[in-house]
Amino acid sequence: MRYRAGVILCLMLLPSFAKGQDWVVPEERRGRLSTFPFNDDTRKEGERLYMINCHSCHGDPGKNNYIVLQPSPGDPATEKIQKNSDGEIFHKVSVGRGQMPSFRSVLTTEEIWKVVSYIRSFNRDYVQKVMQVITSSAYPGAVISMKLAYDEAAKLVSVMASATSETGTVPVTGAGVRLLARRYFGLMQVDEEKTTDNNGTALFAIPESLPGDTAGNISFSAQFTDEQVFGSVSKDTILNAGAVTIPVSLTAKRAMWNTVRKAPVWVILAYGLGVLAVWGFIFLVMFRLRDIFTVGTELRERLQTSPGNQEPPKNQQI
Amino acid sequence: MDKKEEGSRSNDLDRVIENSRRDFLRKITLAGAVTVTGGAAIYSGHRFEKAKHREGYVKVLTEDNRLVEIPVEQMRDFKPDLKMLQSRGREGIPGRKWVMVIDLSKCRNARKCVEACQSAHHLRPYEYHINTLVMQESVNTPAFFMPKPCQHCDNPPCVSVCPVDATFKRQDGVVLIDNERCIGCRFCMAACPYSARIFHWQEPSQHEADSEKEYNVELNVPHKKGTITKCLFSADRLREGMLPYCVSACPNGVFYFGDENEDAVTNGTTKETVRFSELIEKNGGYRLMPELGTQPRVYYLPPKNRIFEFEEGEKREYKEEKA
Repeated sequence: MRYRAGVILCLMLLPSFAKGQDWVVPEERRGRLSTFPFNDDTRKEGERLYMINCHSCHGDPGKNNYIVLQPSPGDPATEKIQKNSDGEIFHKVSVGRGQMPSFRSVLTTEEIWKVVSYIRSFNRDYVQKVMQVITSSAYPGAVISMKLAYDEAAKLVSVMASATSETGTVPVTGAGVRLLARRYFGLMQVDEEKTTDNNGTALFAIPESLPGDTAGNISFSAQFTDEQVFGSVSKDTILNAGAVTIPVSLTAKRAMWNTVRKAPVWVILAYGLGVLAVWGFIFLVMFRLRDIFTVGTELRERLQTSPGNQEPPKNQQI
Repeated sequence: MDKKEEGSRSNDLDRVIENSRRDFLRKITLAGAVTVTGGAAIYSGHRFEKAKHREGYVKVLTEDNRLVEIPVEQMRDFKPDLKMLQSRGREGIPGRKWVMVIDLSKCRNARKCVEACQSAHHLRPYEYHINTLVMQESVNTPAFFMPKPCQHCDNPPCVSVCPVDATFKRQDGVVLIDNERCIGCRFCMAACPYSARIFHWQEPSQHEADSEKEYNVELNVPHKKGTITKCLFSADRLREGMLPYCVSACPNGVFYFGDENEDAVTNGTTKETVRFSELIEKNGGYRLMPELGTQPRVYYLPPKNRIFEFEEGEKREYKEEKA
């Protein structure tokens, strides 16, 4: 009876254990393989990248010195991480979850595979499966290109993808495309990921308030989301799709903190008038003193020159 | 016997003569070869010099991407001098309006921002341009970590009080301090409501190694004893199109930095660029002490939905415990 209860309890607890662990990778991503075989060079480069990007949370592989987080980052050398397929590790590194950031924009595809190569070096049982054909391209032998255009009335940017080969040009259908606007520190995704239709076209809505330059131009870049199938094709085009932005200098306005020339008018006036008033008063006093002095000398001269009015004797008042 | 001797002697003489002739021929051939080679070398050298002189110009790519030729004699090694560093440092980068967003829900006191900043600006471990503070609004509310750099206010009280125009605001919003002008009165320290400024009471760290360097107002290195220093939004990195030191050093995705004119901010960890206005609006962004009217250029996102427990102390300490 106790045995049964124990078994049932265990079975009941199982899903709750699994809950914390469960980080489901989409089916199509699981089988993804590296395009190059792992060797000492890739491991070395992978170690360098690991130390920069992963070490602060996952610690040194095999030493169990990862930091305490929920969900736990775990040691990459342990089974918890090693039981993942190459594709799963790749996906988790590039997408991230919770506290684990996405490394899609930080590391290139090749760099993530090198990190995987480093992580795998701690697994003795690991045998690498390398992708046989580098590009399992949907359009073998064709050159895939993209064309961007802006429809001002509908506020839509259309991306047209086509594959050109000796036999002619065909639209690339069913391909995931991202539209990115160039900003000072990187590319910003506009709208969501779209899939090309039967004409090879994907339409992206442009928000009205998206700032462009002084003429409203924005440099757009379109990229395929699945490099494995379509190669790392991207196209940069400048389109007049943004809002006209005329930058205003933050030091343009008059302010207390600004330079002397841009001080508030009342400060300039008050200060100027104050200085004038002080100096005016000083000069006023000086002029008055001079006036008194001149009047005094005139009086003295008059007294001395007129014979009838001789200087009174000093003891006159007594 | 005598005849034999004579014969052999004459034979020897012949051999000597023969040898000397051979020697002579060998020597003259060698001398000839040396003369020809030397002559050729001198001639080719002469031709090379002549050709070089005939050109006399080098191709140079100018700042505005033009390929020009300038005479060799007029070439000078470029080294930005103090005058240039000062004038471009005062002017700032036209058309930009830098803005920083700090997501408090992600900060767990890794202190990488502090370390990166201190190493870039040659500061000691107790001298902060940016610091991570432990905050608790009231007894019943949870504590959280708050990185606090200079707020680069649009209405900066520190600049208003400076009597010598040493601290100033630029057109791109960055508030800088010019150690060439600073007299060390510390009025700005008193005026700043965010306590963003520090004073060099002693000789700055690495002052001997830095003494030969030209003073760069955008990096504030080399520092001077008896002057103020503060966070600079890494103005030197912005000029190169790179994110500030603290922003790119953060391992937890706390910092966003960008240009408000472009309405875009880039996360330093994931390098993901998002709309600034959307980020602020969706996450309830706020600024510190808005009642003062200082209008900071640093925005904070509240510490909500944290997926880790707040623990006093640094991340490094957990590691030591585990090890």
